[in-house]
Amino acid sequence: MEKLRKSLTTFLVPLLSILLAFLIGAIIMAGLGANPLTAMYALFKGAFGTSASVGTTLNKAVPLIFTSLCACFAYKCGVYNLGGEGQFLMGATTGFCVVHCLGLTGLPGILAALVTGTIAGGIWGMLPGILKITRGLNEMIISIMLNYVATLFMGVIYTSWIRDANMPQTPSVDDSLKLGRVISDMRFTWALIIALAVGLILYYFLYWTSSGFKLRAVGLNMTASRFNGFPVKRYILISFIVSGAIAGLGGASDLLGTQYRLINGYGSGYGFDGVAIALIGQLHPIATIIVAIFFAALRVGSTSMQVSTGVPTSVSDIIQALVIVFSVAGMALTKLPEFEAFRLRLFSKKGKEEVNA
Amino acid sequence: MSISFVTNLILAAIRMAVPLLFIALAELYSERAGMVNIGLEGLATVGALAGFMLTYLTGNTWLGILCGALAGILINMIYAYATVTLCANHTVYGMAINLLAPALASFIYRVYFGEGSSLMQITLMQGIGIPVLKDIPFLGTLLFNQTPMVYLAVALVIFTGIFFGKSKAGLNYKAVGEYPKAAATLGIPVIRTKYLSCVICGALAGIGGAYLTTCYSTTYTEGIVSGRGFIALAAVIFGRWTGGGVLLACLFFGFCDALQIRLQVLNIGIPYQFFQMIPYVATILVLTVVGSRKAGPQANGKPYRKEER
Amino acid sequence: MEELLRMEHISKQFAGFYANRDICLTVNRGEVLTLLGENGAGKSTLMNILIGLYQPTEGKIFFKGKEERIESPGQAVRLGIGMVHQHFMLVEAMTVFENIILGDKNSGGIFIDRDARRAEIEALAGRYGLDVELDKLITEISVGAQQRVEILKALYHGAELLILDEPSAALTDIEVEGLFAIIQKLTEEGKSIISISHKMREVLRISDRITVLRAGEVVTTVKRNETDAQKLANLMIGHELAGSQYEKKTKSDGQTVLKLNEVKYHEHSKHNGLAGVSIEVKAGEIVGIAGVDGNGQTQLAQVVTGVISPEQGALEIKGEKISVSDPSAFIGRNVSHVPEDRNLQGLIGDMPISDNLILKLTDSAQFSRGKGMFLKKKEIRSYAENLTEKYDIRCTSVEQDVRSLSGGNQQKVILARELESEPELLVAAHPTRGLDIGATRFVHDQMIAARDRGVGILLISADFDEILEMSDRILVMFEGQIMGEFSGENPPVEEISLAMTGR
Repeated sequence: MEKLRKSLTTFLVPLLSILLAFLIGAIIMAGLGANPLTAMYALFKGAFGTSASVGTTLNKAVPLIFTSLCACFAYKCGVYNLGGEGQFLMGATTGFCVVHCLGLTGLPGILAALVTGTIAGGIWGMLPGILKITRGLNEMIISIMLNYVATLFMGVIYTSWIRDANMPQTPSVDDSLKLGRVISDMRFTWALIIALAVGLILYYFLYWTSSGFKLRAVGLNMTASRFNGFPVKRYILISFIVSGAIAGLGGASDLLGTQYRLINGYGSGYGFDGVAIALIGQLHPIATIIVAIFFAALRVGSTSMQVSTGVPTSVSDIIQALVIVFSVAGMALTKLPEFEAFRLRLFSKKGKEEVNA
Repeated sequence: MSISFVTNLILAAIRMAVPLLFIALAELYSERAGMVNIGLEGLATVGALAGFMLTYLTGNTWLGILCGALAGILINMIYAYATVTLCANHTVYGMAINLLAPALASFIYRVYFGEGSSLMQITLMQGIGIPVLKDIPFLGTLLFNQTPMVYLAVALVIFTGIFFGKSKAGLNYKAVGEYPKAAATLGIPVIRTKYLSCVICGALAGIGGAYLTTCYSTTYTEGIVSGRGFIALAAVIFGRWTGGGVLLACLFFGFCDALQIRLQVLNIGIPYQFFQMIPYVATILVLTVVGSRKAGPQANGKPYRKEER
Repeated sequence: MEELLRMEHISKQFAGFYANRDICLTVNRGEVLTLLGENGAGKSTLMNILIGLYQPTEGKIFFKGKEERIESPGQAVRLGIGMVHQHFMLVEAMTVFENIILGDKNSGGIFIDRDARRAEIEALAGRYGLDVELDKLITEISVGAQQRVEILKALYHGAELLILDEPSAALTDIEVEGLFAIIQKLTEEGKSIISISHKMREVLRISDRITVLRAGEVVTTVKRNETDAQKLANLMIGHELAGSQYEKKTKSDGQTVLKLNEVKYHEHSKHNGLAGVSIEVKAGEIVGIAGVDGNGQTQLAQVVTGVISPEQGALEIKGEKISVSDPSAFIGRNVSHVPEDRNLQGLIGDMPISDNLILKLTDSAQFSRGKGMFLKKKEIRSYAENLTEKYDIRCTSVEQDVRSLSGGNQQKVILARELESEPELLVAAHPTRGLDIGATRFVHDQMIAARDRGVGILLISADFDEILEMSDRILVMFEGQIMGEFSGENPPVEEISLAMTGR
């Protein structure tokens, strides 16, 4: 009963937010002179219409799944890791440099790229963590600054150190390193399987293990966790490292799955998108994955929407932003005492029981 | 190094510092009322676009600045409603603004100027020299031959110092950020002050953004704010939540920025990105040295509920 | 005498229950009216209505003969009602001067005219004997001085009626005397005072009349010279104040479970430190630490549970010296802790009751496979359901978030968790603070039962009656030191009260 009530608000708020965001999106489309229904149809058809488009959508979802799981894990421990983008890029860059410079190919190369990418992301995530627990610094500012540093570092690689002739980009990774398709006539690759596996492992860890339980407790109340004997600082640092490592693994997987080379603009916005997705997914790893796929669908579909109806792709960006704007406000609303009173009045019979209890 | 190199460097530092200063002052006013707003980047982005468009349409940079301020206020009211009235988490909502505002800006730009349009250009605001003073060698060009926005920024810093240091209203305003419950028992309108702080924050951040398109770069490009909104957060911590401190912090970051551009031009064989990292790395180093524990308004970032029961 | 305030038939309802019901009271000019009542009797709610924080569900308020609707604290201030809250409403980062002029509406102008304001404040301070240093930061002055600042602030804002909430709670004895003198002076000058208190001595000292509240209603109003402590106590509690209902164990021959020897922590901080504390707790006894709040009790509780480390001195659990202070080290040695702030320190409010009950047990074989690798959720649920029954935790489901429970039920969750771990030492800090009589009784019964099972209990409480009721031995704490030890059987109440004030 209680569980039902809780999950109702958990599902209802994001769902209503999505509907509301689409409604506003439709109004914008109408304002631009397009038929919203046709445009929406084009959008969904573009994202899920054919097996090819489903594959594209899923591939597009891979980096978002990683960065949103990265944000999700840190939030669960009560810290704000806004550095998903930097950790993602450090993972991709390091993975690329390792296989490129060592000339690795085939499975050893793939493993090397994934492992070193994970480590690099973990280190990049560790920096704000260390500064937070030793110097009390605001982890948000530090992690954002590190995003810029990581982006610029990647720039150094593709403009100066490993440049592909006269183009400002690196050469592509060796063909033997590219992650293959899982099903031959679907476009999505093993990178998606890695992403889903990470999500499942996080779900298991957070909700079924003692350490995950404690990590969540630390995230909800650090003082009480300390009083009850949990090593709070250790958990915070670990959450930063793991969170960064997830993003780093994501960078390496995406590089080998779809991206293949480092190029200007790669990874831009993935970190903040990840935060938004994790929040809409109510910080639940499985829900987060679903929301990430939904966001990817909006992106993929918006291109075909633009082609067939002339509605610019940025409408889908606005819809995505509105989903987060509404869902966060909605969650806050349901926590207000006034809302609780309203809910009680609405279900007055049930309400009385609870009050009397 | 020649004198002109140094003058140019300092001039550039001031030019770089001014937008940052507006945005940082926006955050200062916000946090003094207990509102941590990390949506500055987004606010400045809409400010930049609004400033650009109005200037493009009317040719008047002042209208551009004004419109930038209005756009900033408009967007920040969403943040204000969610965080003050609905008690949403400040950080999370600031993030939401950072996603919404740039999406909105790029949508409007694309719809208005067309998807693949070549970069539109506007004329920048002209510098105004203060007679006599501007002819003082070295210092003259440095301090008295700038755009009015620079003078406005300096005036704002002075005003901020007086407001928080000497005025009754400023004292009451600070009390809201320190201990809202205590302020409320004395009849200080906490909710109204918090909303006011969001208006000021939106306006100043919008102006900071508009400065970028009307006084700094002649075009609007996506990502034009390029992290200034976040560096401004650091500047407030570094500047110890005071007007003067924030000014110094912004000059420091502006100097880092100016320096990296100069170093890039020198072309000494080091990839230019390493120089571009300077402001960001400097921010991290400065914060590490200064630390941020137990500083700033006590009730910063905490939701305020009227009847707690 | 002229009437200043009259409250008529005031009721306040919160989600189904009455915090105040049909309350009538009057305050005359120049008198001290005391509101006497236990925790939860409705005193704070009534005062929050008077200062405009809450709106009454029913009833009328007359101030200076005019009916007023007090809709905000600001309006209360304008009317001339000032409150000195128990937790001071002072901005720590500002000076005394700035705190006093905060929200000032007396003077015009944009800027602060420091000289003029200073002169006004100093005149006011001189008139009422309120000695304060205007240029000090709030953090730099003592609690007593902070209280004087609060009173001065209220007067500066034109208060004619001053509400003092537990005014002597955090004061030293000398400061209390000073406060009484100030109150005297205020009433002589025609100011009226409502004092909220449950301390009999203080009530009898300062009041002209006393209104007794019980369970949200007025029991009666009596004149000071027509009553005495026993009568008041009976009115307040509703029955005769009898001796302890529990059997005291004055001779414990159990093993020593806790031993502190000359433990020091922030030695020179009178209110937040320990200046050489030696305590012994044996198995099967309750050692009560009596004392006014803020004399180092918080630090004592945290030292003996490993939250903070002693700077000097030795700490032994069951004869074993503990060198590394960390809560987990103490939990591992079967030390349980009922912390003073249950929401902040004891519970994870946004987690279900069941999770809070097994908070420290997730690694155990009972609730997980492979040392915490896989939680047995069914076991956890049924365990939690058993405990909610055993400890009478009233909830709709064990999945319910702890935050949504009442204070009493939250405390029972903590108690259940801490007692079910079969501790050898239980440290309980203010275990019944803010609880109603039923819940208090339940907590006390459980603690006595634990004692009889052989648990050594260190009970820290600012509630003197609780100490007298529960303790087998009583130690009195004052400014970080132990002032004396007394037997819990027929305790010398007068002597202990004196020790609590430092004598």
